[in-house]
Amino acid sequence: MKTTGYLGIDVGSISTNVVVIDPAAEVLFTAYRRVEGHPIHSVQRAILEMQAALGDSVEVAGVCTTGSARSLIGAVVGADIVKNEISAHARAALQLHPDLQTIFEIGGQDSKVTIVRNGVVVDFAMNLVCAAGTGSFLDSQAKRLSLSIEELSERALLSQDPTTIAGRCTVFAESDMIHKQQTGHAQHDIVMGLCHAMVRNFLGNVCAGKEIKPPVVLQGGVSANQGIRRAFNEALNTQVIIPRHSMVMGAYGAALIAAKANPAPTRFRGYGLCEHEIATRGFRCADCANRCEIIEIVDGGQTLGRSGGRCRKWEQQR
Amino acid sequence: MTALAMPPMGNYSIALAASVECLRVTPWTSRSTTPEMMTLGAEAAPEFACLPFKATLGHFIQAAREGVEYGVMVNSVGTCRLRYYRELQQKILKERGLNLHIFGLGYDGIKPPLIRHFDPTPAAFLRCSARAFFKVRAVDRIEEQAWRTRARERHGGDTTRVMDTCLNDLDQARTVGSILAVTRSVRGRFESVPVRTDARPLRVGLLGEASVLRDKYLNHNLEETLGSLGVEVRNFFLLGNEMAKIFHISRWSKDSRRSLMRLARPYLKSVVGGHALESVAYTMACARDGYDGVVHIAPTGCMPEISVRPILRKVSQDLKIPVLELSFDEHSSHVGVVTRLEAFVDILRDRQRSGT
Repeated sequence: MKTTGYLGIDVGSISTNVVVIDPAAEVLFTAYRRVEGHPIHSVQRAILEMQAALGDSVEVAGVCTTGSARSLIGAVVGADIVKNEISAHARAALQLHPDLQTIFEIGGQDSKVTIVRNGVVVDFAMNLVCAAGTGSFLDSQAKRLSLSIEELSERALLSQDPTTIAGRCTVFAESDMIHKQQTGHAQHDIVMGLCHAMVRNFLGNVCAGKEIKPPVVLQGGVSANQGIRRAFNEALNTQVIIPRHSMVMGAYGAALIAAKANPAPTRFRGYGLCEHEIATRGFRCADCANRCEIIEIVDGGQTLGRSGGRCRKWEQQR
Repeated sequence: MTALAMPPMGNYSIALAASVECLRVTPWTSRSTTPEMMTLGAEAAPEFACLPFKATLGHFIQAAREGVEYGVMVNSVGTCRLRYYRELQQKILKERGLNLHIFGLGYDGIKPPLIRHFDPTPAAFLRCSARAFFKVRAVDRIEEQAWRTRARERHGGDTTRVMDTCLNDLDQARTVGSILAVTRSVRGRFESVPVRTDARPLRVGLLGEASVLRDKYLNHNLEETLGSLGVEVRNFFLLGNEMAKIFHISRWSKDSRRSLMRLARPYLKSVVGGHALESVAYTMACARDGYDGVVHIAPTGCMPEISVRPILRKVSQDLKIPVLELSFDEHSSHVGVVTRLEAFVDILRDRQRSGT
């Protein structure tokens, strides 16, 4: 007997996450894989993984995409809903921890704070122009130290006396880390210092002017990092909550949104889309002086959708 | 004929272009900044100059390259660094070997320099001023209709299409009679757009710095993006109000500086410059008039608008009106802007649904 499943897909700068839930909001399947510069391929592989795991036991009844590639992937898979990641993350966090008041979400290139009161989102903020304090910076530092991202995380916990790192900007932070390394500081103290700097930067800039009240939930890819968790606990003087699906909360939220909307019938294009060669081609719209770059998503001879304009003219045409 | 470069002021550019015909010049202008202008301006301007400085400088550079000899730029006192922009832009143009003379728009003796130089006949001046006046009113009419219709349209893009034809016709209109005819036709034309009537759209006030409020390239098409999310916007920079303020008419209207200062007094007692007073006063007015939220926009580093942001947060808390702050510079990412707007609209919808 087939169960009904709702599919949530979150494609961000670093990772592609896929979650399938049943109508009771129980998670049936999760996948977390790196985008590696190719969002469409990463989604196709993740959906293949899902097919292998669930087979024919699940009938997909609704799809929601989120993350920075939400409209592209929405066209590729045939999403019923395309939702911004701030709302998707909040939806997921509130499902697991209805009493929360603050959500920190730190992903590959974005970091966000969402303020919740009485179970309703009332305010949010997102980092502006700088990637300091996000996952891609941790990634590049791990690479520079020849550590895996997991080793970096464990290394931070060894630190007894973290050193101070300038956290305002990635370039300055990196030169400061190198300076500390050349003057002989232990690697784990530098790594933990970096975690403190990132958390300081996050609380000082992204959360500026916001009232941070516990319970605080920390999610997104960076929430897996032990050093960052420790730095948050120390800075806020409270135990931040790491939700059960912390790495894939965006996709989980998207799945919940799809389940709530319960579209009938779904526009999901089926597992078959993984075998197709889906290509994109760009052109410049010449209709006004903006000369927007429009991206057309093509599957064989069929145009799945267009995106990229400043006005919504191209998105409307099918 | 001599050409005169006039930096874009949104759809009001149509009216501003009409106003200079009496000077026997061809207006060189557009309704919004273009990417080319932005690139030229950003490259020539000091890094920390604000977005409007870069956009208008780029406009003048492109104009000069196309052989335009004259330009006009606001340089009135009592605003912000804007008062030095004409001087600085003139200097930058000169250093680059570009021959474009920029007139200041502010008073300088009895007549503004522009009038002194081109010396229009009083009859021509009055005729063009009248046309400009009626074109400003027509633009306001078109925009108000567009804001209302776009939030309700069934097929995305219909409203914008109707709006564009209205604006083009207005641009072509040469006599007061034909301008009024366009104005009268606006309502009927928008009524041809199929709309849905089931849901009450959210109402959001747009406030902040004038050129990012008015230039849809600089503000990433804010009005259309919100409109397509089912939001009825109101852009609080209205040129008619602004002129009335500058020339001290309509002292007693609710949009006069006096009334705004009285309204904002609990939160703002001193002069900040720019449109900071308007930002505070109209945010309070929006809360009073039952708006669902306010989007406050400014160029990155805009002194007057950033000075009042902490006040806006206080107003937002006290009067329970959500305020989204957005800052724009030439590096702003479009996706980032849209994500924030979508999330903000989600918050407003939740509030509307829960009735708080």
